[in-house]
Amino acid sequence: MNKFSYVIKNTILNMRRTPLLVFATIIAVLVSSFLVFTTLSARSIVQNNTVRWQNGTHVVIFLDDRVTTTAHKQLQQSLETYPEIRTVEYFTKSEAEEEFKILFKDQPELLSEVDYEKLPSSLRVNLNDPSDYELIIERMDGNPAVKEIRTSGEAIERLLSLTNTLVISASTFALLIGFAAFILIINTLRLAAYSKKKEIKIMRLVGASSTYIRLPFIFEAVFESLIGTSIAVGLGWGIIEYSKNSIVAESIFDITISDSYLIYLTLVLLLSSIIFGLFASFVGIRKVLND
Amino acid sequence: MIKLDNVSLVFQGGSVALSNISTTINEGEFVYLVGHSGSGKSSFLKLLYKEYISTKGSIEVAGLDVVQLPRWKTPLLRRKLGIVTQEPQLLEKRNTYENIAFALEVMGTSNDEIESKTNTLLDLVELNENAFKYPDQLSGGEQTRVSIARSLANNPVVLLCDEPTGNLDPELSIQIVSLLEKINRAGTTVVMATHDSSIVNRRKKRVIELANGKIARDESEGSYILR
Ligand SMILES: Nc1ncnc2c1ncn2[C@@H]1O[C@H](COP(=O)(O)OP(=O)(O)OP(=O)(O)O)[C@@H](O)[C@H]1O
Ligand SMILES: [Mg+2]
Repeated sequence: MNKFSYVIKNTILNMRRTPLLVFATIIAVLVSSFLVFTTLSARSIVQNNTVRWQNGTHVVIFLDDRVTTTAHKQLQQSLETYPEIRTVEYFTKSEAEEEFKILFKDQPELLSEVDYEKLPSSLRVNLNDPSDYELIIERMDGNPAVKEIRTSGEAIERLLSLTNTLVISASTFALLIGFAAFILIINTLRLAAYSKKKEIKIMRLVGASSTYIRLPFIFEAVFESLIGTSIAVGLGWGIIEYSKNSIVAESIFDITISDSYLIYLTLVLLLSSIIFGLFASFVGIRKVLND
Repeated sequence: MIKLDNVSLVFQGGSVALSNISTTINEGEFVYLVGHSGSGKSSFLKLLYKEYISTKGSIEVAGLDVVQLPRWKTPLLRRKLGIVTQEPQLLEKRNTYENIAFALEVMGTSNDEIESKTNTLLDLVELNENAFKYPDQLSGGEQTRVSIARSLANNPVVLLCDEPTGNLDPELSIQIVSLLEKINRAGTTVVMATHDSSIVNRRKKRVIELANGKIARDESEGSYILR
């Protein structure tokens, strides 16, 4: 117990000696973790909102179930003859139910309340040129088998590619800042080890184990990176909760992100930050404390 | 207690600090290690506590095979030894009491034990009145005594002292040596490196003389005269 309190005491002493460096390190870890957390969440939200539009679906024609399935099939066949259409896929009511369950998997209340019988079957249209979607709307106008038409439009296309760009650039920045954090931790530890050179020498002389000598440094690194990541994750959760409540449900940007994904993301980030701290401290004090 | 068999120490540049040293020091002995500057006294002691690693030969200290001992086990060896280095390595920002207590603190000793043990050690080296002085407020002899007290904190079986009377006047030197003899009488084996002939000649102990990294003479108690 006394050993443990010695380690904690020295961790705090080390950190108090270089407050600015510690602060900078925490900030760098925070920004890096925040970037990772928010972009991955954003990507998940966009994916949840666009499941329907992936796999090259450009137009969804919801069918009126009061019309017979034969009429549905006829419509499909006539659509297939249009030159601007590449494929038409029939999407049954049960497939619609499955899709709905995926889309709203984090909203169990909604899932239990929905009358799946009311979910319409649909035709999923893939166009040779996605910008031709207006033509399809014109042609379907007034057709009794059609209940409603939704198109991906170019907005969705752009949103999807934008998200990818966002994820790539944010990850690059997260990596760069993470690297900066790594360097900062290494320098903080080396500075601390250097200023305690004599102390460490004496500890060696009286037979303190090398784990014991190292622990304050390892603790410091793990603590700093864990603090940074925790604040980042906290901020991330806060922002998501805030947006969930502030944006109207019908908007294209439903904040549909499952809690289990968020928890998973949080745990992975926290675990990574511990590993990050361990690794940085390993590199930081390997040479300094080795003689 | 200490056994060297055909031990050599050659540094990377090729300079030979010790060559083919063989000797045995028994439990409870008091041994002076003498020789000119550069003869290898410090190197001899550093080999014993694995600060240096011998190029050749075998070394046994307090029942441990020093040469074969893996690096991570060095602390086990050090815990059996009290080490007083040539310069007393004291922490400037800690007072006498805290400098001695430091050795106990880093071993995870309980607070009560730290307090009682540190006070006993302060008594032993007669530094009670200087307990709250900082190293720069202490004389050279007092600093050495702090260093000796600290080296005794974890009850070593062997005490290795490198020129503890290095910069002290004869009177203070005798004080330090008396202290070491007192510790020796309590059962601790003591090896002390020195080039102080007046002490060696007066105290009549076993003397090992090094010259150019070799044992030039090894005289049993009382028969040695250092010129
Ligand atoms: N780390 C080292 N690297 C290279 N050479 C060394 C090292 N330590 C000691 N030596 C050399 O080994 C020889 C013995 O040195 P050592 O310090 O053991 O002598 P000493 O008897 O303690 O001298 P002094 O009385 O001046 O303290 C010297 O020639 C010295 O230059
Ligand atoms: Mg020396």
